[in-house]
Amino acid sequence: MDDDDTDMNTALMMDGNAVAGRLEDIFGRDMTTAVTRCAGCSSLAEMGALMAFTRGPGVVLRCPTCEAVIARIVETTTAVYLDARGATFVRIGLRS
Amino acid sequence: MISRGFLGRRRPAAVEGRLPPGQYLVTDFPVLSAGPTPHTPLDQWSFSLEGLVRAPVSWTWEEFLKLPSQDLTVDIHCVTKWTKLDTKWRGVLVDTLLQSAQVDPSGRYVMAFGDGGYTTNIPLAEMVNSQAFVAYQFGDKPLAPEHGGPARLVVPHLYFWKSAKWVRGLRFLDHDEPGFWESLGYNMHGDPWKEERYSGD
Amino acid sequence: MPAALEWQIGKVTRVITETPQTKTLTLALPKWVAHQPGQHYDVRLTAPDGYRTERSYSVASEPERVGEIDLTVERIVDGEVSPYLDDVLMAGDQLEVRGPIGGYFVWDVSLGGPLLLIGGGSGVVPLMAMLRHRAAEHSHIPARLLYSSRTADDVIYRAELERLAAADAALKVALTFTRGAPPGWTGHQRRIDTAMLREVMQPLGNDVHSYVCGPTLLVEAVSTALVAMGLPAERVRTERFGPTGT
Repeated sequence: MDDDDTDMNTALMMDGNAVAGRLEDIFGRDMTTAVTRCAGCSSLAEMGALMAFTRGPGVVLRCPTCEAVIARIVETTTAVYLDARGATFVRIGLRS
Repeated sequence: MISRGFLGRRRPAAVEGRLPPGQYLVTDFPVLSAGPTPHTPLDQWSFSLEGLVRAPVSWTWEEFLKLPSQDLTVDIHCVTKWTKLDTKWRGVLVDTLLQSAQVDPSGRYVMAFGDGGYTTNIPLAEMVNSQAFVAYQFGDKPLAPEHGGPARLVVPHLYFWKSAKWVRGLRFLDHDEPGFWESLGYNMHGDPWKEERYSGD
Repeated sequence: MPAALEWQIGKVTRVITETPQTKTLTLALPKWVAHQPGQHYDVRLTAPDGYRTERSYSVASEPERVGEIDLTVERIVDGEVSPYLDDVLMAGDQLEVRGPIGGYFVWDVSLGGPLLLIGGGSGVVPLMAMLRHRAAEHSHIPARLLYSSRTADDVIYRAELERLAAADAALKVALTFTRGAPPGWTGHQRRIDTAMLREVMQPLGNDVHSYVCGPTLLVEAVSTALVAMGLPAERVRTERFGPTGT
């Protein structure tokens, strides 16, 4: 993580919990416990733990270990775009 | 349903002709980004012109500050619908930077790139003739890191996502290629006066 | 396939002022379902011209309270939504919400303990849902809450926290103030740091389920410290609220 933690941009950062509703819209179920593997550094993280940048043209979810982009989401007036190339997989638990 | 008594943050547009369609006025300067603030030390910072140029050109921070610069006051329009009027910057016009490079006649498109992996595409014709600059001061102070400092691109006639924060250079291409947001549903061009927000607009 | 998350119109039945900056809204929900403590609802406001904006608020109440939820809202200076919820909304009004949302930052008694809860400012809200649920289930899972506020006036749910702790030897609540303590205060008076965490955690051991919630900078600092102190990363769950608060 950056050593300068006092700027507003860092303070505004949230985590995957902040986009849980949006992810549930796309996937039809809660995704905050889905596990992603980072294409950059191979570390695993639940989506609720990903860094989230939500105040911009779209949402950017980043790896908490290496800060690489794991997923991006854009909502236009007619559609949702999802780019998850930053995850080598998303592991979604089956319901019992 | 309508939420009784809710109006939102919007302010009435008492500034006819300066607010593009769908925009509202703000007086603060919202911080929006796609990632954590990069912190490239100034002694490692450089700005380069690359791609379809006769030879790549680059400036260190010290060299960059010695380039002829201007004070510019412009209106800025974010695709998230806020507009801020009369923002004051100091920076170097892209025209000035281009004096040091010979761009190939085929290099008609630019990909601006910055720290953190952000990119955005702009036609070269829309960066010349004082339409774009690389800013390092906002108000009368050095550009704050949260707003893109030490230097950011400013292209005020397009939506502000094209004004790449933490900019490190321009790459000249012979075709228009989508940058970070353009590749995920945003408009390749981004003219706020034609409300070119999304692809297909 | 489960039904997609649907908006519903809740009715505000009660508004309580908790602190000068926070209020609790009780919403009766026609399509209430039991939430897990820690989950949140999205709130959507619509202006007459169709302009819409959304925010998320953690549920403060326990799922044992059927048919309604409490949302505790902190007023953000220059905010767009919280001043509306603070100044305009009142009992009898409608509020459009959807939820409950989130499966990561949740705890209920079936997960066991010990339980380590660390909150800053309004970050205490989802933690309160966990403690209220624990009490409603008459659980004596060992639990500690470490709660950072600016001043004593900013402590949300203070009386209730004291009552819960007084009635249950297995629950301890520690407050710390970052901008000034009341006269005679003998407790902590600084930002949460490793020493304070160590002191709070020591009786619980390292096998805790920990939940950290509040302003991003606090959550970053505390979660880093907990992992450095030996807690497995999977046992440190975090929820960042952005730049508000302590």
